[in-house]
Amino acid sequence: MSKDILNQKLTNEVSSIFDQVDVVVGYCGSNNPLMVNPCFIEEKEGLDQLIFNQLCINNLASYAYKLSKRIKGNIAMVVKPCDSKAIAQLISEGLIERDKFKLLAVQCPGVLDHKKITKALKGARVFSLNIGADKIEVETATGTQELTKDEFYADKCYWCKIYNKPPLHDIFIENDQKFSLEPRDRFEDIQDLEKMSLDEIFSYWQQEFERCIRCYACRNICPLEVCQDQCIVHLDYPNWQSQKVDADENKFFQMIRVMHLAGRCVECGECERVCPQNIGLLKLMKKMNQIIGDIFDYEAGMDIEAKPPLLTYKTLEKNIKEEEL
Amino acid sequence: MMTEQIKENKGQAQKEEVRIVAFLCNWCSYAGSDAAGTARLRQPENLRIIRVPCSGRINPLFILKAFAMGADGVLVSGCHPNDCHYSDGNFYARRRLEVLKEYLPFIGIDKRRFAYQWVSASEGQKWQRVVVNFVKRIKSINGE
Repeated sequence: MSKDILNQKLTNEVSSIFDQVDVVVGYCGSNNPLMVNPCFIEEKEGLDQLIFNQLCINNLASYAYKLSKRIKGNIAMVVKPCDSKAIAQLISEGLIERDKFKLLAVQCPGVLDHKKITKALKGARVFSLNIGADKIEVETATGTQELTKDEFYADKCYWCKIYNKPPLHDIFIENDQKFSLEPRDRFEDIQDLEKMSLDEIFSYWQQEFERCIRCYACRNICPLEVCQDQCIVHLDYPNWQSQKVDADENKFFQMIRVMHLAGRCVECGECERVCPQNIGLLKLMKKMNQIIGDIFDYEAGMDIEAKPPLLTYKTLEKNIKEEEL
Repeated sequence: MMTEQIKENKGQAQKEEVRIVAFLCNWCSYAGSDAAGTARLRQPENLRIIRVPCSGRINPLFILKAFAMGADGVLVSGCHPNDCHYSDGNFYARRRLEVLKEYLPFIGIDKRRFAYQWVSASEGQKWQRVVVNFVKRIKSINGE
C-alpha cells in the first residue's frame, strides 16, 4: 500500500503548484511491466497518471535543456535526488534558469535496473512484476519467480549517499519505503582497470569499442550534452571524426565525450543504460571525475554556486605539479 | 586507437625516427624555438611544430587526435604563467592539459608520451633542453 500513499502525495504536491507551471514532467506507467515511461502533462486531468516507484530509473533532467528553450513558462519536474544533481549542474553552468524549474524531489528507495532483471530471467517474457520489501515477484511465461531485490538495483544506487538529501529541490516528498543499501566505494568498478598494465587496458577498451555501433544514443540521452545540434562529430570541416565505424573511431568519439564532460558529468548512468551494446561507458566518466575530484576537489552537481573547474583557474594551483623536462 | 596505429604507420615511414607533434604558442614558445634556431643550438629533427595563437587555444582533443594519427609523443609549450599575451590563456590550458595527462593511462597511453612546458621567447637554451630531453624520453619508451 505504501506505493499508493506516495503516489497520492506526489499528485497532491503537483496539483498544488499546477497553476504556476506550463508542463509537468514525470513518470507514468507503460505496457512493459519492467519499465515506466517519461510523460509530459499539460492538462490537469492527466495528473492521475503520475506514478513513482522503483522502476523509475530514467533521468528526466535529460529533457531539461531542450524543454526550457521550447517552453515559455515554468516547468515542474519529478526528480530523484541523483537527477537533481544534473539540474543543479546545468544551472551552475548557466544553461538553464533556476526560476524556470519547480523540482519535486522524491526520497528515493533506490531504482531497479530492468536490464539486470531481464538477464536474470534469461529474456523470458514478463507479464507482471510485484516489488516487495526485499523480494521481487515476477510472473513470466514459465511461471512465477522470486528474485532478491538487492542484486537488481541500478549500479549508481550502490554508492548513493544522497537518496534523502537532494542538492537542489523546491518540494521534497518523503517516502516510507526506505533505502536499504550500504553505500559502497564510488570508484570500486574502475579499480580493477587501474591495476592493469597499459597494454592490457588498451586492449580492454579496444575490445569494448569493437562492439560500438556509434548510434550516438549515449550522447543524445546525456542531460549535460546540450550542443547536440552542433556536435563536432557531424562537422565536415574540421573533420574530427570520419564516418567509419571501427574501434579506433568509436573510442575517439568517446574521448570527445569524456573531454566534453570533464568536471561536468553527474554519473547518472544514462549513457550506459541506453547503450544497446552494453559498453561500460560510465567507467570512462568515473575516471575523469576521480581526477577532477583529486586535483580540484570538485564534484559536479553538488553546488549551484560552484564553478566547474575547467571554466575557471587559479594562478597558483595547489595540486598541479608541473614537470621540468 | 593508438599503439597499433603507431606501429603500423612506422613501418611505412622512416623506421628509425620517432615522430613528435609539438603545439607551440605564437607569442612565447614559437619565438623561443626560433631563438634557439638563430642561436644555432642543435636540436633533434623529430618535431613537427604546429603554431597556435595561445596555449589556451589547445583543445585536449588535439593531443588525442595526434596520438590517434600515429604520433609517438606530443609536446605542448606556452608562455610562463602570468606572462600570457592574452593574460590568462595558459592558466586555462594548464588545468585542461593536466587533467588530460592524468587521464591518458586509463585509455592505455603512457602518460610520459605527453608533456607540457613553459618556454618564453628568450629561452632558446631551455627550448633546446626540453626538446632533447623529450625526444630522449620518447625514444626510451619506444625501446630504441
